[in-house]
Amino acid sequence: MHSFWVDLLVALIKMLVILGVALGVGAFLTWVERKVAAHIQRRPGPMVVGWHGLLQPIADGLKLMTKEDLFPRYGDKFLYHLAILLALVPAVLVFSVVPFGPEFELFGYKVRPILSDVNVGILLVFAFGSMAVYAIALAGWASNSKYPLIASMRKAGVLVSYEVVITFAVMGPLILAGTLSTYEIVERQIEQKLWYIWLQPVAFVVYMFAVLAEMGRVPFDVQEAEAELVTGFTVEYGGMKFGLFPLVEWYVEGITLSAIAVVLFFGGWSPLNVPFVGFVDPLFFLGGLSPFVWFVLKTALLFGFILWLHWTLPRYRIDQITQTAWKVMLPLTLANIVFTALIAPLVWR
Amino acid sequence: MIKKLRVKPLSLLEKVFFLDFLRGLRVTIKNAFKPTITTHYPYQRLTPPKRFRGFFGHKVVDGTEPQPAFYEWVNRYNIKVEYGKSRCVVCMRCKRACPVPQLFEIEGKKLPDGKRVVSVFNMNLLLCTYCGFCVDACPVDCLYQTDLHETASYSRKDAVLTLEVLERIGREWQRRREREPDLIWPPEEERLKLWGENGLKLPETQRGK
Repeated sequence: MHSFWVDLLVALIKMLVILGVALGVGAFLTWVERKVAAHIQRRPGPMVVGWHGLLQPIADGLKLMTKEDLFPRYGDKFLYHLAILLALVPAVLVFSVVPFGPEFELFGYKVRPILSDVNVGILLVFAFGSMAVYAIALAGWASNSKYPLIASMRKAGVLVSYEVVITFAVMGPLILAGTLSTYEIVERQIEQKLWYIWLQPVAFVVYMFAVLAEMGRVPFDVQEAEAELVTGFTVEYGGMKFGLFPLVEWYVEGITLSAIAVVLFFGGWSPLNVPFVGFVDPLFFLGGLSPFVWFVLKTALLFGFILWLHWTLPRYRIDQITQTAWKVMLPLTLANIVFTALIAPLVWR
Repeated sequence: MIKKLRVKPLSLLEKVFFLDFLRGLRVTIKNAFKPTITTHYPYQRLTPPKRFRGFFGHKVVDGTEPQPAFYEWVNRYNIKVEYGKSRCVVCMRCKRACPVPQLFEIEGKKLPDGKRVVSVFNMNLLLCTYCGFCVDACPVDCLYQTDLHETASYSRKDAVLTLEVLERIGREWQRRREREPDLIWPPEEERLKLWGENGLKLPETQRGK
């Protein structure tokens, strides 16, 4: 009985920490994105609120909350609000299967820094990821307006294509690890002394493309396409409801998918890897904190890379996007699965 | 006519390794670490060049009027010249040169001693295109365009410049920038930095032949 209450308390603390991290960091990333975009275009970006505009997300939040809340005539009020929940909740739920570090002991209790170590973790990630389609389709439909509808159709088309591709892309690392649990995938990589990126570069590239498509980032941002569709399916939303969509789609989903990529391809919390030989840890002086720092560092670098791509590339047409998905990416991932199946016994040993 | 451009298609190597992506990424990362080149507007402001076509002003009589043009016009219209007041001689040339003449409201009045003076000079800048034709037309160098460009106002009435406001702007302009050399080109060393030395030597022209 005693251990039940302790488990409950630990789970609650984990939940609070993860929610705080997800939403807080998500809001803060708006500032990071604006800074990166600005410096690539040789502007300073937000500079006024706080040191180098550091408090800008708070100012933006206040502004959004005090804005007038508009609702389109003849819109569907229930679906309109349901879409917000459907966008926010699954994106945050994905965090429950992200392992932040190895098991550690606190006051005699063993704590795993993962909310729920389910044995189908990766499946859960993609199940929640697919639910984003509903949010966007409902948002477009309930707004009773042309632009959101077109945008949601486009996004649904892109998402359906890339959900297939991303699932086949992660099949490679899954075969090598032999498990679906995110925590165990990292442990396997440490046991096998191998980041899966070394054997799965094709899968990684395809995964990155699919991440860009799921996040609605350039070069796959057809659902926004500022020049054509104003802001896509968020046109009819106002105030904080408008703010939540990009927050979820660009930042919360961005962190989760980067974190999952780190888990699958870069060995989670493990330090730098020499394939089949071992690990080199330049951050050894941090002691027990080092794995957590490595995990955050890798995720941040990957997210930074996505930002960098966003502010570099132009946009593809919708037909080019789906063509790439079905005609290039899907055959590539299938070939990759065959290749992985052939070399897997070498890794398993 | 349609100009056809032939773009070299990407080679297989470029397609497989995303070389064109990498080229773009190199450009953006290079720019990301260069210093910024913008002006932080409300805190830093640029001074426009002297020939900037901004808000209008009336230069006042201060002894630097263009001579003999000024006295010719003054004598022709029998204008009363007063130190520190507008140079305007109510010739209406600005209004005639203007593409939107109704933005000017100009009236003169006759003083008891028989001399004339400008009494009303309103410019409705909501209609103005800032083309500067009126400034070119002014024969006594009175109407002038200054470097004031932050001209937003809370009401339509504030966008109408009256004679008093025009004189105030003109006086301030004369105090601040009247003596500055009128540069069409930037100074020589700046120009060389921008465009480099002109290496072309043309044969000298022969005058009067």
